[in-house]
Amino acid sequence: MSFVSVNIESATDSPVKLTRRALAKQRTRERVLAAARQLFSERGYEGATIRDIAQAAGMSTGAVFASFADKSELFEEILTADYEVIYAQMVQAARNAKTIDEALLGLFAIGYGFHVEQLPLLRASIAVSWTRSEAAERRARADIKHIFRLIADALQRGIDQGQLKADIDGKLLAEMTWDVYVANYRRAVYDGWSVEALLARLSDQLKVIFAGARA
Amino acid sequence: MGVRDDQKAATRERVLEAARDLFNEVGYEETTIRAIAERAGVSVGSVFTTFASKAEVLSHVMNHRLAELYGEFDRVVPYLRGTVADRLCSIFAIHYEFETRRTKLFLAHIAASYNPNNDPGVTPFGENRRLSQMLLDVLEDGVRKGEIRGDLDLDLIADTLKAAYAWNYRISAAAGGTTPASEMSAVMDKQIGLIAEGWKPR
Repeated sequence: MSFVSVNIESATDSPVKLTRRALAKQRTRERVLAAARQLFSERGYEGATIRDIAQAAGMSTGAVFASFADKSELFEEILTADYEVIYAQMVQAARNAKTIDEALLGLFAIGYGFHVEQLPLLRASIAVSWTRSEAAERRARADIKHIFRLIADALQRGIDQGQLKADIDGKLLAEMTWDVYVANYRRAVYDGWSVEALLARLSDQLKVIFAGARA
Repeated sequence: MGVRDDQKAATRERVLEAARDLFNEVGYEETTIRAIAERAGVSVGSVFTTFASKAEVLSHVMNHRLAELYGEFDRVVPYLRGTVADRLCSIFAIHYEFETRRTKLFLAHIAASYNPNNDPGVTPFGENRRLSQMLLDVLEDGVRKGEIRGDLDLDLIADTLKAAYAWNYRISAAAGGTTPASEMSAVMDKQIGLIAEGWKPR
C-alpha cells in the first residue's frame, strides 16, 4: 500500500515551476512531517513535543513553527494526507461492488489494510480523538462525513436493487457499521489480529446488524 | 494485617481517590504524579512504591470503579423485567448513568488505552468481561424463552452490542464530555431495537 501523501504527490505533479525558495520551504515541511509521523507513532500525541520533532528533523523549533502553527496542526495534516489516500481508494472499492456486503467490506478492507500497517499512528489518532478540542473535533468530522456518504450511497443502492428493505433506518445502520469497524481495531492493537481476521469479524458483525434490514 | 500493611492500604486508597478526582477535573495528561501525591497528602516516593506509573494508577482507578458499578448490578439484575431488548436497554442505561458521573475520567481511560506508548498494564477499552457475561446471560435466557432464534452466535451478538455501547461515548467526547446519560441510552435503545429485529424467530 502506498503511504505517499496526496499533498506531496500533487505538488510534484504540478506544472507550475516552484521558485528555489518555495522548494526549500516545501522540503522543510516534508522533513518536519516525516519526523513528526515517526515520533507520534513512537510516543503518542502527548509524548511527542515540537522540540523533539524539530530535533529529529534536524532543524530549530523556530523553523518548525514557520511551517506549522502548532502541534495539533501538524498532527492533523498527517492524518488528512492519509485520509485522502484512503478515501480515494474507498471510492473505487465502493464503485466496483455489486452487493451491499461487498461494498461495505470493500470500503473497510481499505481502512484496515492501511491502518494495520501503521498501527501506532492509528492508536495515537484514536487516543487524541477522545479528548481533543471542539475545533479539532469539527475538522475530523468533516473528513469522516465523506466516508459516511459512501456508506449511505451503498445502502441506497442496496434498497434500489432490492437487497434491503425500503424503510430501513440508514443513518442508524451506517453508525453501527462504523462503530463495529472502529471497535475492531482493539483486536489488532491488543490481540495482533491480521487484516483478514478483522474483515472476517466485521463480515459476521454486519450479518448481525443487517439481519432485520434485509428484504 | 500489621500496622504497616494498614498504612500501606490507606495510602493506596488515598492515592486512588486523589487520582480519580484529578483525572476527572483537570484531565489525565495534565495530571502529574506529584499533583496526585500532593492531593492525597503523601510523598511522591510513596506513590511510586505502590504504583509503577501513572498509567497503572489509572488502570487501578478504573478497576476500582468497575467493582463499585458491578456491586450495584448484582443488586439490580435479578429485578430487571421485560423482553430481552428491554433488559439489555436497562443494563446499558445503568452503565451510561454510572460513567457519566465522571465522564472526563472515563474518556481519559479510553484515550490512554489507545496511546501507542502506554504501559502493558493498561486495560484495553472494550474488554469488559463482566459486561460480556451479563449480556450473554440475558441473550441465553432469550433463546430459552423463544424470543431469540436458537441458531445464532450469541457471543457475536454480545460483541456487536458492546462495540455500539463503547463507541456511543463518541457522542459525549464530541460534546466535550457534557452529554447526559439519557441521550446516549436513547441511541443505544435504537441500536438494540435494530439488532433485535434480526434475532426474532422467523
